[in-house]
Amino acid sequence: MTMDPFEEQLKQALGREQPRAGFAGRVRARIAVGEDRTRLRGWLSIPQLRWVLGILLCVGMLAAVSYRHGKVEHARGEEARQQVYVALRLAGAKMQLAESKVRRFSD
Amino acid sequence: MASSGLAETASSGMSFEELVERHQAMVFSLAYHFLHDRPLAEEVAQDVFLELHFHLGEMDSPAHIVFWLRKVTVNRSIDEARRRHRRAEVGIEAAGEPASPADAEWINLRLRRLVASLPERQRIVIVLRYQEGLEPVEIAALLEISVNTVKSQLQRALILLREKAGVEKKA
Repeated sequence: MTMDPFEEQLKQALGREQPRAGFAGRVRARIAVGEDRTRLRGWLSIPQLRWVLGILLCVGMLAAVSYRHGKVEHARGEEARQQVYVALRLAGAKMQLAESKVRRFSD
Repeated sequence: MASSGLAETASSGMSFEELVERHQAMVFSLAYHFLHDRPLAEEVAQDVFLELHFHLGEMDSPAHIVFWLRKVTVNRSIDEARRRHRRAEVGIEAAGEPASPADAEWINLRLRRLVASLPERQRIVIVLRYQEGLEPVEIAALLEISVNTVKSQLQRALILLREKAGVEKKA
């Protein structure tokens, strides 16, 4: 197929161009990312591993819940102890007051 | 599926990296001349090579690889253009003023813009014909259309381009 001058010009205008430098490296990097994901997906496709991961996740969640529950209980206990101390201090002060009144009468 | 990015491909005797380096200009330019957008063309070209890496085991000759690359690049570029509703509605004036009437760079830029403004089918046929130098029968095989359709698309595209460029065909 022979080309006229306009077609020759078109051929020249549509010549091949190189992409930005480092194109092959960027492709390689994207392939590496894809392979990592595929590898992870491959691991997760093993049923036993999925069970183990599921059990570990459940145990971890239970441990976290029980730790949080323990912390709340400890805080409540601490608060109750403080209240007992305050009550005891008040009772002691009243006892001292009563004792001093009794001494005053007996003198 | 290819096992490694650097594995020698039985079909070409080249490493995957060598394949990329050898064909990157073809793939990138097909996408660029179709989309008229360098970053987008690079993205498409990268996607095409990623897909090639995945299908490397299915290639049985260097010619098969080239055919496959052209076909997938064309399809991906069309998909991308449709997804982004991208069609360069660029007039001749958008190419700016030439330094001189015979400024080759300005003429090339103007022609590329005119090609980018063609309808999708005509644009891809023109790019395959004048960038890749493919014969209508090869374009037909690539696009899975008849040779007559390719010829008529080529003819219509050339008429449109000549009209827009203000060039008259000499008898």
